[in-house]
Amino acid sequence: MQIRRFKDVLAGRFMLAAAFFSSILVFIIAIALYLRSKPILEAKSLGDLLLGSTWMPFQGEFGFYPFILGTLYVTALAMVFAVPLSILSAIYLAEYAHENARARILPMIDLLAGIPPVVYGVWGVLAVVPLISDIAPVIGKLGIPFLSMESYSTGYSLLAGSIVLAIMVFPIIISISEQVLRAVPFEVREASLSLGATRWQTIKHAVMRIAYPGIAAAVILGFSRAFGETMAVLMVVGNVPIVPSSIFDSAYPLPALIANNYGEMMSIPLYDSALLLAALILMLVILFFTLAARLILVRIERRMTNG
Amino acid sequence: MKNHISIRNVNAFYGEHQALKDITVGIPEKQITAIIGPSGCGKSTLLKCFNRLIDLTDGARVSGKIIVDGMDVLDGSIDVTEVRRRMGLLPQKPNPLPMSIYDNVAYGPRLHGTADKKKLDQTVEKYLKIAGLWEEVKDRLKSPANKLSIGQQQRLCLARGLAVEPEIILCDEPTSALDPVSSQHIEQQLLKLKNDYTIVIVTHNIHQAIRLADYVIHLYLGELVEHGTANEVFENPKEERTRAYINGTLVTDMKTDSEVNLKGNVCPFNFVYAKQALHTLEKGKILKLIVDDPTAVIEVPRGMEADGHEVLSVKQVNKTDWEIMIRKNE
Repeated sequence: MQIRRFKDVLAGRFMLAAAFFSSILVFIIAIALYLRSKPILEAKSLGDLLLGSTWMPFQGEFGFYPFILGTLYVTALAMVFAVPLSILSAIYLAEYAHENARARILPMIDLLAGIPPVVYGVWGVLAVVPLISDIAPVIGKLGIPFLSMESYSTGYSLLAGSIVLAIMVFPIIISISEQVLRAVPFEVREASLSLGATRWQTIKHAVMRIAYPGIAAAVILGFSRAFGETMAVLMVVGNVPIVPSSIFDSAYPLPALIANNYGEMMSIPLYDSALLLAALILMLVILFFTLAARLILVRIERRMTNG
Repeated sequence: MKNHISIRNVNAFYGEHQALKDITVGIPEKQITAIIGPSGCGKSTLLKCFNRLIDLTDGARVSGKIIVDGMDVLDGSIDVTEVRRRMGLLPQKPNPLPMSIYDNVAYGPRLHGTADKKKLDQTVEKYLKIAGLWEEVKDRLKSPANKLSIGQQQRLCLARGLAVEPEIILCDEPTSALDPVSSQHIEQQLLKLKNDYTIVIVTHNIHQAIRLADYVIHLYLGELVEHGTANEVFENPKEERTRAYINGTLVTDMKTDSEVNLKGNVCPFNFVYAKQALHTLEKGKILKLIVDDPTAVIEVPRGMEADGHEVLSVKQVNKTDWEIMIRKNE
């Protein structure tokens, strides 16, 4: 009897410890990153680091501005491609597609989520990059802002990175949105249709109203995936530390910076510290976005329940 | 008597199962037509054929003709949204849209192109009044519709359906989810509306059909058994199956002569009270007891039988309460 009780208590304590450990892990990592990046924060002002655009570790210049903007641009552009396409796909699958079509298409989309990022990267190098190097000079001459290209593009560009990223976040947004849409009660559709609404009116005015928070959550999940994605982007984005002024320019997102350089030439003073600061920035930005997203979701939910 | 809806040789299938078998019948204009019959006999299916909501069911097929104002609603080439606009639907369970009370009523008119705020305000007020809900909600039109009670929600659904100015109102067991007071409310509104609208009500509640209907259609296992004016069908049914159905439901919905609520009483007492109540009744009359004590559910019927009375039924009516029907014998 005693041993049984003892085991019970022990198991309880152990699981508490495990749960506690995993919940504070994020703080441990943040603190560790902060401690390791402290030397550079002491040597330079944070403003110089974040807004400086020169990256010359040998000269002791560590400006993160191009990397931060590179990350933001690639992610934002990827979302511009992915969000409308995947929401419309989800609506088609949930509302219009015949049972048979849905049963065939959805598993394919889920399979897409299982492909390793490096494979997407290779695909990007082999298919997307050459395509962009062909079309960039043509479109570039039209003189549209953000679409300009002076003479020649290798194809390794912001655009290539965001196309690959967009395809990687498709399955997340589609499959969650589709589930959300299908969870909307049938009565809502019945009510709207029986008033003489078309299918599209029903989706736009009634179904989406209920599905909205869930779809927002799907988009946010896709966003976080895109923001931290390293390998596939790194392979196609060019990795040049400049502030991109056109989608055909190369960029150098933060995750790529860390992955490419950490472990090499660590004898350069402050280099190690600078890279870990990059990691810290990346982590804080993702945390910030996740929290902001949560906040928006809570607001939406509250508005939904209170009308 | 002019027919508003003419149903001709309608067959409906769900996969292999035939839900409607060659139905041909007319539904008179500006009257209440009740479609009666036991559950699963195709009543709701027939209703769903009228406004083509049956299209939403996977694997459902319908053949035949349903002519409304000279237009065959089953014809694949017609504008189904126009068909549905002409037929307001009052569902089995109230299904308010996820928006405010005002927006629920304004939903239909907005779909069909009314954008003028003043006109919408008038429409909302008008139809909430017709549905008998205006006084209760006029100060909180902007609050969400799902905060209303179930009975209010159903009247809101009625107002919403009327706001698209239909000619026909289809009701699919509209009171089955409502409490008696709300049900009565809905029935009263329907009786008021029958001067202006053709109303079709599906119900398995014979009493409701008797109260409301001018015309009755009896379906059984997908077949049309009988149809005619309410008087003919209820007073003097031609078909034996109709007679059996009407009598059958009337017997199970027993009329009680006296009712005693023994909730909160424990055993020896509810026994005594039940005996007293039976004592005051004449022979053959029926007493309804409501008890919530688990022992009483078993012991009271047993005791009353031992006294020579006849226990007709014992059934649980909700989580705690039981209903015991006893016929007095001497």
